[in-house]
Amino acid sequence: MTITWIPIITVDVLGAILMIIFSVLAIRYAWRLNRRDPDNLVWTFLLWVCVCLAGFAISRSAGHILKQMLFVAGHGAVWAHIRPVSGSLNTLLLIIVAAVTLFFNGAWHIYQEIFSERKMLQETQSELMELNRTLENRVQERTEALLKHEKQMAQTDRLASIGQLSSGIAHEINNPLGVIQGYTQLLLRGEKPDSQKQQDLQVILKHARNCKAIVEDLLHFARRSAPEKSEINIHEVIDDVLVFIRHRAKTEKIHIETRYDEKVIPMYMDEKKIKQVLVNLVMNARHAVGDNGSITISTGYDDQERQVMVSVADDGYGIDVKDLDRIFDPFFTTKPTGEGTGLGLAVSYGIIKNHGGEIRVSSEPGKGSVFTLILPVNTAGNS
Amino acid sequence: MALRGKPLFIVLAGALFLLLAVPHPVMATQPHGDPEGIVVHQLSHVFFVFSMAILIYWLHNRKLSVQPGWREIRYAAFFLILWSTGAFIAHLLDEQLGWISVSRMDTWTMHVEPSRGGVALAWLYYIVKLDHLLCVPALFFLYRGLGRLSSQKDSGGEPDADAKREDPA
Repeated sequence: MTITWIPIITVDVLGAILMIIFSVLAIRYAWRLNRRDPDNLVWTFLLWVCVCLAGFAISRSAGHILKQMLFVAGHGAVWAHIRPVSGSLNTLLLIIVAAVTLFFNGAWHIYQEIFSERKMLQETQSELMELNRTLENRVQERTEALLKHEKQMAQTDRLASIGQLSSGIAHEINNPLGVIQGYTQLLLRGEKPDSQKQQDLQVILKHARNCKAIVEDLLHFARRSAPEKSEINIHEVIDDVLVFIRHRAKTEKIHIETRYDEKVIPMYMDEKKIKQVLVNLVMNARHAVGDNGSITISTGYDDQERQVMVSVADDGYGIDVKDLDRIFDPFFTTKPTGEGTGLGLAVSYGIIKNHGGEIRVSSEPGKGSVFTLILPVNTAGNS
Repeated sequence: MALRGKPLFIVLAGALFLLLAVPHPVMATQPHGDPEGIVVHQLSHVFFVFSMAILIYWLHNRKLSVQPGWREIRYAAFFLILWSTGAFIAHLLDEQLGWISVSRMDTWTMHVEPSRGGVALAWLYYIVKLDHLLCVPALFFLYRGLGRLSSQKDSGGEPDADAKREDPA
């Protein structure tokens, strides 16, 4: 069969050129992949395959082009000398490409192992970091709780000392005051009504009574007066206090809200004194909110601790941080002179302590305060 | 005696003496004659076909060939198998079996003389000689496949070669 060489020569030369071009371009992409993700062994494998294939393509194509050129130029005999070297080189490179290709599975497995181990390591690391974070939070929480507790203990000790001192002074003053009050009343009996002397004695009696009230408050703070306990429903007590406050203070523009927990059970307490505490707290809240604002009184029951919580929250001006430690001190007040004796919270503190409870305060200046009474649930049997 | 208890030394010294004293053609290296070159080359084609077939199998097994980039690399492997098989046939026909003899009539004309199989075999030989029609598409698919993998990586897509797809168990 006699046939033209032209298609073979054309395909050979053009194909050889295209092989070189495509193999070099393939190396470029493989190199880019490998550079972007150098840890990925599969990209490294592909780069090697491309390099070997390009080596083979160049060697083979150069041979083919040279062969055709030599034949066309009439130097076919020269090719006979080059052919063994070119063929051997092609064979060698073909084997290398095939051998490298067989590494695909190995590369894949190795990368997979590296990947899964890296993933495991990352997971472990994030778990450790999470544990560390949790531990740090716990340490911080415990430290804060400890500091708070220490502060409370210090305040309790301080108030106990003040109470002892106040109690001593009150006791010593109480007797002379009684004598002054008694003699003033005796002198008043012999005086004509509306006389100057009678009016003077009335002033003395009035101030003696005021002093007596303060002394009694001090004794309440010092917990010298024993509570007269009876079974009370705290919700009814709060309602009574609110009725009393609405009558006495201007509360038209103040929103007072109650949120009662129905689980709260009746308690065995001194109703009069608990009312006194609640009046103090609500009046303070009313003073803090001014003409407009809201006061929320809520209750809660902790069945496990057998405690009832009564919170009086307001959105008033709050308490300065520097004053927070002193608000239960007797005679400490932020009100203007003449508006408060500074005994309200001190007396409330004494009363609640006398009931075996606690009074806590949290406040943020400008946002309001929350006073919480924590009262143990006593029944007639265990009070 | 100094050499007593050293039989290995005596044997080695004796052998060395014989080698040097009595030279003789020993045929230590095997001669590599003419047909070996083509046999090695043909074996390299077979090995190449085998490795490409294995690559196709692995790509299929790892479910990588469902993705465009790796699918085109699989096509490249397939075309390389076809090319290598064609080249193997061409070498077999003219260099190993001698069923085809080719002579150049002039620069642009050739004469293909089949000793067996008739014109059909001559045509088969002529077609397989156009082997670039198979290996160029193969490299084109390789280039395109890698290009797709690269652009996928550039666009922040999941890299195809990442082992995330396969359960290590």
